[in-house]
Amino acid sequence: MLSRAVRPAVRAGAVAVTRTAPPNAANFATLREIEGRLKSIKNIKKITNTMKVIASTRLTRAQKAMSDSRAYGQTSNTLFEQAETKALEDKKTLLVVASSDKGLCGGIHSGLSKATRRVLAEYPNSDIVVLGEKAKAQLSRSNPEAIVLSFANVCKDIPTFADAQAVADQIALLPTDYASVKIIYNKFINAQSYEPGSVEAYSEEAITQSPNFSAYEADEETLSNLREYALANSLFWAMAEGHACEISARRNAMENASKNAGEMIDKFQILYNRQRQAAITGELVEIITGAAASAE
Amino acid sequence: MSSLRFARSALRARPAAFRVPLQRRGYAEAVSDKIKLSLVLPHQTIFRSTGVVQVNIPAESGEMGVLANHVPSIEQLKPGLVEIVEEGGANKKFFLSGGFAVVQPNSELSINAVEGFPLEDFSAENVRAQIAEAQKIASGSGSEQDIAEAKIELEVLETLQASLK
Repeated sequence: MLSRAVRPAVRAGAVAVTRTAPPNAANFATLREIEGRLKSIKNIKKITNTMKVIASTRLTRAQKAMSDSRAYGQTSNTLFEQAETKALEDKKTLLVVASSDKGLCGGIHSGLSKATRRVLAEYPNSDIVVLGEKAKAQLSRSNPEAIVLSFANVCKDIPTFADAQAVADQIALLPTDYASVKIIYNKFINAQSYEPGSVEAYSEEAITQSPNFSAYEADEETLSNLREYALANSLFWAMAEGHACEISARRNAMENASKNAGEMIDKFQILYNRQRQAAITGELVEIITGAAASAE
Repeated sequence: MSSLRFARSALRARPAAFRVPLQRRGYAEAVSDKIKLSLVLPHQTIFRSTGVVQVNIPAESGEMGVLANHVPSIEQLKPGLVEIVEEGGANKKFFLSGGFAVVQPNSELSINAVEGFPLEDFSAENVRAQIAEAQKIASGSGSEQDIAEAKIELEVLETLQASLK
């Protein structure tokens, strides 16, 4: 009698122990875990959202600076268009890559590096000057021997003409005589899209040998000044446009990141609720079985 | 003063008007005696292919007035006053810190300048104060670069002061 009464209790206890204890422990752990992850994803969403807002406010300013610089660069280049200036074939080309230091803006830097590699395949005999750490890191992996000069900390904020002048000055000091300077930058198409493009700044020789140049009256000594000025102008244009592209790309990247984080939060919230419910149900079953057993 | 200026600009406008043979003038001809001016700064676009009657620019080789159908040329600008005579005799003055002006074959004038502001925006007092400061640096014992920069600054400011008078 006694043994029979004791046995079910033992069995029930054993069953209860084997059934509830390990899943219970696991349940609590996963619940805690899910809660932690949910919290961190929420924080990430907050951060990406803030970054998006910052990028959007900077975008309007960057876009205005870009349209001004575009007018400036185009006006400066009208001369070379009218004169039909072309780069001389026999000399080295200098590629200037206008990227920047900061990441978290989609494929903007890698797109630029890819474009540079394409141009490099076309003109194998060329040197590279890199503006910005990101493109420098990427290009120094594939073409470390071609990089002759690099700048950090440019294009951080909206580039000023003084920045462009400083860079142009350093480029002019390079020992090699280049046939032309090709500036590779991200061309701004609209707030959603951009593509790598290039502007060229020609050498003095190339300018004087261009087919329609004889139409112009010009002093010999102004030409070297014009060449340096045109280089600074084109650089400024490329830097301002690249900056606007970067900001808009960052805005888009952060918008997507916030959206993805939102989706993940939804998924985890559902999972969390389900797990919590399961744990509660499990506990209830335990209590009821316990009560039923002791009532017997 | 203003009547004098008006007379001056009228005087200037007349030769351009008289060059066209006295026939019935169509719209296309009327447009052709204007020059399309683009005056741009890195941070601002002042004129963008706007038709104007005449532009006086301070070139390195001397002051020059550019009318429509000017000979194509490339001119380096020194710091100075750019005077723009618009249609109807309106006159606009900008002080530029130097740059390049290119007269294109198709009666277009492109001026690229590093800095430039309307003349009436300058304050004579500030200019005077800055001249004094630049003079102090130029005659002081700073590094060679500082002195050279101050001398350039002085040159710009003195031209500006002269054109403000």
